[in-house]
Amino acid sequence: MDLPKQLDGLEEDIEPMMDLTPALTQKRRSQGRIIFDRFIRNKAALIGAIWIVVLVIFCFLGPYITGHNQPDLVRAELASLPPSLANPLGTDDVGRDEFARAMSGGRVSLLVGITSMLVALVFGVGIGSFAGFYGGIVDNILMRLTDVALAVPIYLLLFVLSVAFSDGSPTSIVILIAILSWAQTSRLVRGEFLSLREREYVLAARTVGARGLRLMFRHILPNAAGPIIVSATLLIGNNIILESILSFFGFGLRIPFASWGNMVAGGQSLYDVSPWLVFAPALLIVTVVLSFNLVGDGLRDALDPYMTER
Amino acid sequence: MGRYIIRRLLQAIPLLLLISVFMFSLIHLLPGGADAVIFNPRLDAAGRAAIRASFGLDQPIYIQYLKWLANTLTGNFGFSFSNHLSVSSILAVRFPATIELFSFSLLFALIFAIILGVVSAVRQNTATDYTLTVISYFGIAMPAFILGLFLQDIFAVQLHILPVSGTESLGYTFDAFNSLLDKATHLILPVITLAFLFIAAWSRFMRSSMIDVIKQDYMRTARAKGVSPINILVQHALRNALIPLITVVAIDFGGVAGGAVITEGIYAWPGMGSLFFDSLESRDFPVLLAILMLSAIFVLVFNLVADILYGVMDPRIRYN
Repeated sequence: MDLPKQLDGLEEDIEPMMDLTPALTQKRRSQGRIIFDRFIRNKAALIGAIWIVVLVIFCFLGPYITGHNQPDLVRAELASLPPSLANPLGTDDVGRDEFARAMSGGRVSLLVGITSMLVALVFGVGIGSFAGFYGGIVDNILMRLTDVALAVPIYLLLFVLSVAFSDGSPTSIVILIAILSWAQTSRLVRGEFLSLREREYVLAARTVGARGLRLMFRHILPNAAGPIIVSATLLIGNNIILESILSFFGFGLRIPFASWGNMVAGGQSLYDVSPWLVFAPALLIVTVVLSFNLVGDGLRDALDPYMTER
Repeated sequence: MGRYIIRRLLQAIPLLLLISVFMFSLIHLLPGGADAVIFNPRLDAAGRAAIRASFGLDQPIYIQYLKWLANTLTGNFGFSFSNHLSVSSILAVRFPATIELFSFSLLFALIFAIILGVVSAVRQNTATDYTLTVISYFGIAMPAFILGLFLQDIFAVQLHILPVSGTESLGYTFDAFNSLLDKATHLILPVITLAFLFIAAWSRFMRSSMIDVIKQDYMRTARAKGVSPINILVQHALRNALIPLITVVAIDFGGVAGGAVITEGIYAWPGMGSLFFDSLESRDFPVLLAILMLSAIFVLVFNLVADILYGVMDPRIRYN
């Protein structure tokens, strides 16, 4: 039987009925497909995702494609040039190619944002799931630890930690930021675990003999995946901002490492003569964080089975 | 309610102790340490030992901690390594500037976030709503130092209408009114810089909270029985929509305080944030420790205040 014309594009609305009325639908979409379709329909999230892909290509493949592959080359004769065809983002006070620096700085910014998110995720999920699953004394100890991490304003702690432990390398900055961003994830995961562990399917799994780690990571964690993925995406943008603030105040990456945050800090003193040194990295930071936030919000809507149109 | 507050206060005590242990050890891990800063290189070994002893740095770290704790509990935060003033007197000088920046920014952010959120919700899916949404997304993605940089350039350097930094114009004498005006103009850019992020975040939250409320049945009932639109908005919708906002604002209190540190760094605002940067630079342990502990107490207190307000605003919430 053919679908009536007016039902085109309405699959979404009749989704719950699909099992009852198989004749109404041509094909059954997988869960992943449904989420993907919903995500694609959100224009802002799609643009964000595309911009992230563009930036990743720009930063990682750009040097090979465009030939701007010497970010540290000092060329005194080309100092402080405004943007032109030969130097699309101009040059700084010692003649370094800003375009090449934007690409190498972007690699650092993106890698710091993403790896610190991954490290924070591992710790946050680990701690949060143990606290939420076992409750009682385990929960109490782990959550007091989380409270300590959340009670002191993050920048203060970040600056002190940076002075104490950081040697200005990307690895040390990743660890620093991860140390400070696992706490929110662990709160979130704990909350999910607290509510999910009381569900019937967990009881069912328990009845057939699953326990401990298997229950936690095979049964409960996948059901908490949605909120975790969303918060992880938002964490990337957050961490990129944290890194840029650290670098701006001189507590972050040190020479020879450069990131977009470092470039804004470096360009600040030359703002009067070469404003492009600030504009380009600032614009890159803002748009990449914006894109991660848009993708995060898009994922939240796409993953939410009760999503209402807003 | 009283019992709830007392229980929460009692719970905060072990937490603060734990935080103080963490902070104390962290600060004593700082490389360079007190030795590098307070010691005159021309001092001989005996002189060094004498100074170490006078600051109590010759004792094992746990003894130092216990002594610090005992002193702090009696209201004595110790003495600065760098200028030998008492920490409380230094804080007393710096604190008002930060409170000024903090409270004005908070007020400004709250007022604008609520107004913009309500406007967005009422005009849902119109050009106004979309414009505000786009601006707030940019606001959330914009690090404070970039915003500060551009604001300084536009309003101070290019247009010459606002001062670049500081709290007042130095080298001038004003009458009372102009002095106040002078201080106010110095406040504008830092407040905008600090408040912008929170206006963006809170107005988004206010918008969705308001939309949830507007769809409720009692809103239709109120309209049906002829309550005026303004009245519905303020009395029925706003009051309910504000409840979730309070929690978010309270959680962000630490964020605003941290943002104040950043903002003070950008605008050379002589408050606790600048003091923090200075004492971190000079490894001034007692001052640093006092700032960290005060900020933690501040965050904990306001989390409690938020929970209490939550109950006051929404009688359906019970504490037991």
